Amino acid sequence: MRDREIDDILKKAAQAQPDPDPALLSRIAASMQPTLRPVRPLPPTWVLACGLGAICLAVAMAGAAGLGFYGVHKMSGVQTVIFAALAVVTGRAAMAWIAAMIPGSRRQETPAALLGIACVILLALFAILFPDLHTVRFMRGVSCLEVGVLAAIPAALAGWLLLRRGFAVDPAAAGIAAGTLAGLAGITMLEFHCPNFQMWHVLVWHTAVLPISAAVGALVAWLVGRRNPARD
Amino acid sequence: MARYQQGDFAAATALVQRLSPQLHRFFAVQVSSRASADDLLQETWLRLHQVRHTYRPGEPVLPWLYAVARNLRVDHYRKAGRTSAREQSLDESPEIPAPRTAAAGSTLTMEELLAPLPPSQREVVEMLKVCGMSLEEVARATSSSVGSVKQKAFRAYQKLREHLGNIGGLS
Repeated sequence: MRDREIDDILKKAAQAQPDPDPALLSRIAASMQPTLRPVRPLPPTWVLACGLGAICLAVAMAGAAGLGFYGVHKMSGVQTVIFAALAVVTGRAAMAWIAAMIPGSRRQETPAALLGIACVILLALFAILFPDLHTVRFMRGVSCLEVGVLAAIPAALAGWLLLRRGFAVDPAAAGIAAGTLAGLAGITMLEFHCPNFQMWHVLVWHTAVLPISAAVGALVAWLVGRRNPARD
Repeated sequence: MARYQQGDFAAATALVQRLSPQLHRFFAVQVSSRASADDLLQETWLRLHQVRHTYRPGEPVLPWLYAVARNLRVDHYRKAGRTSAREQSLDESPEIPAPRTAAAGSTLTMEELLAPLPPSQREVVEMLKVCGMSLEEVARATSSSVGSVKQKAFRAYQKLREHLGNIGGLS
């Protein structure tokens, strides 16, 4: 059997399905009338992406300003490449979050895939750019993780304020995208601030901000989605 | 759609009249009764009305509309699943209705045709063939890539070919 024949059978079956009752359609249209006020469409994607980028930069700079720009002052020219990589990944994460908040958007990759890609890129770059294999006072690095995750919170909140008029058809995916973006703001802040360039410190305590933020984002979005009566 | 966003009631009515038949078919294929499809249609328009500002002029309407409709259908399945799980624990011997089969000489129903397909493939075939959407539009509505949609459609057609071969095509 050819594809065209299958198409014909499917078309015939689709046409055989009864149309909805015209009275039902009139009722639906009438039910819209009382609340039919003009609405302002969401801004273009590039405007929202720029807004999210600006939020991440502002949060990272503000956090580093409070704690001190020790890291960026100690960095060599080559090591500053990490900021370019962070900017690119942040841009992709911003696009993923926007796509998750606007139904029917074109999507480059799923937020979970983006999280994986971002982690791999950062791990590879950290390993290349920070080759110091010493592990002096390794466990004290947990403070970097704490500070990075704490910095992610205002980034996530400000981003949510910007995108609050959106509608996430998949709240968990939107939460992962939001957490990834916020985590990247936290890592950017750590790169500005943290003067510890030992490879294992950066690989473990800085990169861990990303999956933890994404997991928290997914959890919060899932809980909000469950509590929202509009979804049930 | 832009006029609907500006509060034009005639535009809203025209949209409901024009898009509801295919939206209703989209629901009718997978829900058990016409009443459920009617309910889903109403709920979908209610939700679309609430989030109409998320549509951006210039973008295709169908992916936006079906992304929301699909979300409601998934919610409906979850709710129905929870409800039926509770009901089955109380009922002693629930009667399972025998699946409908096409009478000799009649056309197969959409439900019967798509029965052998897993939900993800069924959804893609419905959107492509019942709703008349393009690959790009289906990819947007299902938050996936065009390649993934093509692959699902290809596999679905393989299964449909096999299924139709087994039942001897259309009687």
